Amino acid sequence: MKTALVNFAINRPRWVIGIAVVITLFFAAQFPRIQIDTDPQNMLRTDEPVRLWHQETKEIFELADFLAVGVVAEEGAFTPPHLNAVYRITAEIATLDGVIVEDILAPSTVDDIRQGDAGELIIEPLMGDTIATQAEADYLLSRIVSNPILRGKLASDDGAAIALFIPIESKDISFRLAGEIQEITDRLGGDAEYHIAGLPVAEDSFGAEMFTQMALSAPLAFVIIFLLMVLFFRKAVVVLAPMIVAMMAVIWAMGLLILTGNTVHIMSSMIPVFLIPIAVLNSIHILSEFHDRFAQHDDKSTTMRHAITELFFPLLFTSLTTIAGFVSLATTPIPPVQVFGIFVAVGVLSAWLLSLTVNPAVAMLIRPESLRSFGRSDDSHGPLARVLHGFRDTAWRHYRLLIGAAVVVVAIAGYGLTLLVINDNPVKWFKADHPIRIADQTMNAHLAGTYMNFLVFEGDDIDRMKDPDVLRYMEAMQRELENEPIVGGTTGLTDIVTKIRFELFGADSAEMRLPDNLNEVGQMLFLFEMSGGSADDLYKFATSDYDMANLWVQMTAGDNQAVSDVVARGNAFLANNPPPPGVTARWAGLPYINIEWQEQMVAGMRSAFLGSFLVVLIMMIILFRSIIWGLISMLPLTITVMSIYAFIGYIGKPYDMPVAVLSALTLGLSIDFAIHFIGRLRIIHRRTGSFRESYNEIFESAGRAILRNVLVIAIGFVPMLFSSLVPYITVGVFFLSIMLVSGLVTMLLLPALVRAMHKRLLPDRATVDRPQPANVS
Amino acid sequence: MTIRMLLLPVLFLVVFASVRAELDADELMKQSHLALYYAGDDGRTDVTMTIVNKRGKERLREFTMLRLDNEEGGDQKYYTYFRKPSDVSRLTFMVHKSAEANDKRWIYVPSVDLVRPISADDKASSFVNSHFTYEDVSGRHWSEDNHAIVGDSTVDGVPVVVVESTPVEDLSSFTTRRTYIDTSTYLPLREHYYDGDGTLIRVFTAETIETVSDIPTITVRKIEDVQKGGHTIVAFTGIEYNLGIGDDIFTERYLKAPPREYIGR
Repeated sequence: MKTALVNFAINRPRWVIGIAVVITLFFAAQFPRIQIDTDPQNMLRTDEPVRLWHQETKEIFELADFLAVGVVAEEGAFTPPHLNAVYRITAEIATLDGVIVEDILAPSTVDDIRQGDAGELIIEPLMGDTIATQAEADYLLSRIVSNPILRGKLASDDGAAIALFIPIESKDISFRLAGEIQEITDRLGGDAEYHIAGLPVAEDSFGAEMFTQMALSAPLAFVIIFLLMVLFFRKAVVVLAPMIVAMMAVIWAMGLLILTGNTVHIMSSMIPVFLIPIAVLNSIHILSEFHDRFAQHDDKSTTMRHAITELFFPLLFTSLTTIAGFVSLATTPIPPVQVFGIFVAVGVLSAWLLSLTVNPAVAMLIRPESLRSFGRSDDSHGPLARVLHGFRDTAWRHYRLLIGAAVVVVAIAGYGLTLLVINDNPVKWFKADHPIRIADQTMNAHLAGTYMNFLVFEGDDIDRMKDPDVLRYMEAMQRELENEPIVGGTTGLTDIVTKIRFELFGADSAEMRLPDNLNEVGQMLFLFEMSGGSADDLYKFATSDYDMANLWVQMTAGDNQAVSDVVARGNAFLANNPPPPGVTARWAGLPYINIEWQEQMVAGMRSAFLGSFLVVLIMMIILFRSIIWGLISMLPLTITVMSIYAFIGYIGKPYDMPVAVLSALTLGLSIDFAIHFIGRLRIIHRRTGSFRESYNEIFESAGRAILRNVLVIAIGFVPMLFSSLVPYITVGVFFLSIMLVSGLVTMLLLPALVRAMHKRLLPDRATVDRPQPANVS
Repeated sequence: MTIRMLLLPVLFLVVFASVRAELDADELMKQSHLALYYAGDDGRTDVTMTIVNKRGKERLREFTMLRLDNEEGGDQKYYTYFRKPSDVSRLTFMVHKSAEANDKRWIYVPSVDLVRPISADDKASSFVNSHFTYEDVSGRHWSEDNHAIVGDSTVDGVPVVVVESTPVEDLSSFTTRRTYIDTSTYLPLREHYYDGDGTLIRVFTAETIETVSDIPTITVRKIEDVQKGGHTIVAFTGIEYNLGIGDDIFTERYLKAPPREYIGR
């Protein structure tokens, strides 16, 4: 099969290229139908109970996702000019398309509950009109601070910050709305600082920026890789083929992804970035071999046949192991990660097929005269050669030291792994200086928080939530949750009832408590409705039948770890202090959903990684037909994975979704060097029969290709380090470290080990009949 | 010159005709208002209110209402005694409606035994969280809108005059209203409320009309929120007119101790 494929490419180069181009055009034609999806909710399957419950909660209590607009003036935001600007801004925001006007929370829209001059109970908008005097502004702040329903939410106690909560019809319009709101605040905001925060903005903005990054980092990496390869092989025309192969593989994989109706999620947007190096790696080995042998054979087709023959199995296995690594992602319970894994695998398969066909085909079409000087340059004295010889001699001389060092590294890394902290927060996908991060930080420093979870209480009968026992339980839960550092405030039916009672009794703080009987609770709520309080406001905290109640838990941070603490505290309270009979409580909210999928992802990734690790080990044992060689070949991979993740553990970077998914890449890439190194070493040894000779030669062939790979990929992804999106930076750092660590281990530890055990692994055949030079085709 | 001479009387006629039509519309709306809100000199009724939200969920309220007209088309007093939901049973509510000044409202909260005035600034706000506003319950004075007759029509075979009204002062609750007035009883059979874009936002329907003590009375009324969905139906039973209810009933004392002769049954 392999000869047929290669012969076809060599004999019918135009056909091969033609077919590849037609297929590529077909897949490229799918691109206009691309659908972007940045909703972290889609990390969970659509039928996931947690997600369904969140949706149901939103419907029952008519809750919407919201944007939080922050107004910050350190010298005080409660001045007539600032407040009047906020008033006008709120009015203009209300006219924007997609804003749920009646649910906007702003000084001019929220109701205050107070006593009028005649002792009457008044429920009316806090800020009915524009403000004329500083005294009025101060009064407004005092009303917010004294209202448990508004305190900390609408304004900071020091009056430096005001928050507007803008409910929106759907999350995928947040980016547009954020832009429109920004325009309004720029125009009317005066000298106060305005910030726009909230998970929906972060998520939707990420989608918008993702496009830019996709359009930027992949092509940039592409260009740099191309230039580096030209530098190594000194013939742009030869280097063109691998680049075409990489580009085609990307188009095939992405085209098929779009064609099959999958959406491009945060992870799958990085498919091109993952595929380019993997595709280029294969070609570099072929080119390297072709380049180094061309001078020897001086004939394109012979050289190409020879290169591909020698590389067929290593290339097949490096591709298969990479595919195994990525396909394993399909076993995680996270749909976008599954899609990502499967389509990277599709791309790797395409790249493998294309590199075995398009590479030789393009080579055949190159005019012989333009190859005249190709491969003639003497590679045995350049800087590359000096580095290679350095590795060669160090590994030979200090092999015991190197093996000892490896053991130490593994020990240190083993400890580092225990330091890994599992955490994620979509807002932190942006760099610290991004406006979204600044908005998040500023607003959460001043106010009760831009992250909202809901704890929904369900009773077994109507009016159950009016039961004072249930309300008192809810109140105890609130006080308990407020012990968590990130909980900025909780709001529930309890607060409304208490506040009405307080105002009813003439703002007597002794009466600021929950009623003693159900009728009184019912009457307080009735009073709220009769006094101008809106039922729509009430029903965000309880159903109209009062069989369910919704406790709003506002948080100043969305980090999954901190949110998990809040949830855990609530659950522990529920377990240790059982709620009144017939009452149960369940969590909902976007931050809660995020922790749910993260838990699933971490467990899923662990088993996916362990599974594919075993699969790769078995593949290696089959490839080398030797358990010991199989185990040795796993060393670069193992040490690379351990040291990268240990490093993450030591520096305290959270183990988030991109980091988790990158273990598949590490697996797929770091095994490759070992396959090439060991595979070629054994072929060479079969020919030479002398360990010393084989040892020296491997550095000149596979060693040089590996070093070229390390440099091309590592440098090619440096631009990603300057991305504005953290997951892209993470990927860039991973490429760099995977290449450096697994390259180093392959070039130092593998030869050292082989040297230490060569009598067993690669015995000299000096005593046996010296065989003919290997003819392996 | 001759043309101008001829045009003058025509012009005069047109102006005169429109003034007359306006007067008719105002008078019609006044008659309608009196028929609906000032029937008899006083009255009582038991009310069953069914509030259906946009998702079809029902809530029930039951109360008894007393009304006394101090002046036909002018000051009125209302007294409401709640029976259901059971947690607000015995809660009472009183309105002194004033033609000139703001209304005054009081509530008695039995669980804490307190009478409190409550704010009456916004007449367009919802009454006990139904789709009826305070204005729907006690009436929007005809002088608050400009009226014009826009045509004749029929509602379920009953001949009606259609009056279009626009508020004198800008309102947030509606921009125009069309009232379909039964020409024989002056009762409004339909009211259509529109917003500034001319979109229909809410509809009042007189579902059932009965004659009680010779007074035609709408005994089942419905208001539908066309925009957000949901509706409220109120059914009147036990209607009595001209009971001779005294002015003293509408005082704080009776808020706490409901008058048995009108309520206690």
